[in-house]
Amino acid sequence: MELYHVEMLSAALFAIGIYGVLARRNAVMILMSIELVLNAVNINAVAYAAFLDPGRLVGQVITIFVITVAAAEVGLAMAIILRLYRTRATANVDEADSMKW
Amino acid sequence: MMEADVHFELLWPEFLVAGLAFVIFTLDFFLRPERKNILAWVSVIGLAGILAFTIPYLLDENDSLFNGLYRIDDYALFFKVLSMAIGGVVILGSIHYVNRYLTHPGEYYAILLLSVLAMMMMAASGELLTAYLSLELLSFCLYILSGFALQNKKSNEASIKYILLGAFSSGLLLYGIVMLYGAMGTTSFAEMAIFLEGIEDIDGRLLIGLTLLIAGLGFKMAAVPFHMWAPDVYEGAPMPITAYIAVGSKVAAFALVLRLFAEGLLPAIEQWNVLIAGLAALTMLFGNLVALAQTNVKRMLAYSSVGQVGFLLMGVAALSTLSSNGLMVHLVGYSVTNLAVFFAITAFYNVTGKEEIADFAGLASRSPFLAAAITISLFSLAGLPFLAGFVTKFYLFSAAAAEDLLWLAGVAMVASLISLYYYLKVIREMYINPAADGEGSTIQIPGLLYGLVGILVISVILLGVYPDPVVNMIEDATAVILPGGDASTLNLR
Repeated sequence: MELYHVEMLSAALFAIGIYGVLARRNAVMILMSIELVLNAVNINAVAYAAFLDPGRLVGQVITIFVITVAAAEVGLAMAIILRLYRTRATANVDEADSMKW
Repeated sequence: MMEADVHFELLWPEFLVAGLAFVIFTLDFFLRPERKNILAWVSVIGLAGILAFTIPYLLDENDSLFNGLYRIDDYALFFKVLSMAIGGVVILGSIHYVNRYLTHPGEYYAILLLSVLAMMMMAASGELLTAYLSLELLSFCLYILSGFALQNKKSNEASIKYILLGAFSSGLLLYGIVMLYGAMGTTSFAEMAIFLEGIEDIDGRLLIGLTLLIAGLGFKMAAVPFHMWAPDVYEGAPMPITAYIAVGSKVAAFALVLRLFAEGLLPAIEQWNVLIAGLAALTMLFGNLVALAQTNVKRMLAYSSVGQVGFLLMGVAALSTLSSNGLMVHLVGYSVTNLAVFFAITAFYNVTGKEEIADFAGLASRSPFLAAAITISLFSLAGLPFLAGFVTKFYLFSAAAAEDLLWLAGVAMVASLISLYYYLKVIREMYINPAADGEGSTIQIPGLLYGLVGILVISVILLGVYPDPVVNMIEDATAVILPGGDASTLNLR
């Protein structure tokens, strides 16, 4: 297995995540797509640490922090989505459109 | 290695701000609802105390913690002082608004204090991951604060748009950071500069990393084409928070960007300055042109601040000692002026609950003080002489012109002229159009907001007439991040 293969996997995951953010309309699904992007980052960080920078732990530390921040982000985002659901009875971002341009 | 030389005592200002936030969280439990104003006063007095302690404590200190991961220097000190001052002003200006429109004041003030901490850390971080973490701390606080009006649909909508786009942009930023790590094998700014000096060609990984990094940071500071969240968040968020997002998040983002580009990416300036210059031109033109069409005053100011980001980016594109000074001077002038406008509008909103530009009709007779304050600040934003905006734009534009970006300075002039038009629209409403029927009553402003807006407007004028003390501080700060630059200074005389 070469670094090239891992990078391709990560790039594919990143692209799927971006597609999800753009195509999905449910706020929870958008959030899950963002998680895919963050996991692409994690794969890349660990791969670079293992292939290019062995002996140091920079990549692994990045991964641990990204996982932690992502968890916090999901908690916060779910709370805000819950408020959206309380005030509008929907989690569809297209219906949150009272402000435009 | 890194043991034994960690001077934790240099982090006292950060510890104290974090401690103050937790004191507010705790104090909140013990106060009856009608006495919650004490929380705001404790926060402001605490911040003032920390400010008075920090300046002599860290002045001319030049050290770093954890192998250069966290910097303690005059540049960080300058932004620490600016962040704490902005935080204090926003808390003071919030008191009446919070009493009237919001619940949970304890959380409000404490989260504001935590975001001040994040701003202080952003200016001090000397490494990409630390920078990212402090950026996220700031963003998280702002996501919560922009949705703080719990029963207000617009506030909620602002918050959800902010967090979804913010999280998405964090993803881009992180992917960029990791690509840069893969390309250079380091995330520290200083080591990045050493690496970039030693190579001839830029490889694909570095290029993708740099592009995604700029896109991610562009989202955070609302540069076109990554600005889509800004107008909605500005319009929906509670008014003092709009002021805070407009000023605080921009100050912190540019503190980070300036240090990253000056200390880390300067050797590769040919690779990114075209990109940043293009982004700057696009941002200032688009922001100011779309602002022409706005009818809501917060939305208009949102697009106006998008335009201001364009001016500030010009300082990054032309990166040198001169333009770094110009950028920071403009950042200070922009902060003071925008705080003045926003708190004058907050005082108006506290009484009337209205925020359309047409609602300002006849303000000159309803409250001459507010009308004058808004007029002076808007003229300063447009860059009229004897006000802060003129001096700071002069510094910034001439720095860009001196660095072979004359065309960009020209675009900036045109954008400034356009901005004058929509600022004048507000001023015309206030001074020429009469108030609508049944709305001619005088507006009573509480003494606190009166004093706050008054002081901010006086600072706008002072900065326009006598900017030298601020400029001297800024030159010291620039000397830290760009030590090699020539010491030439820009004199107005």
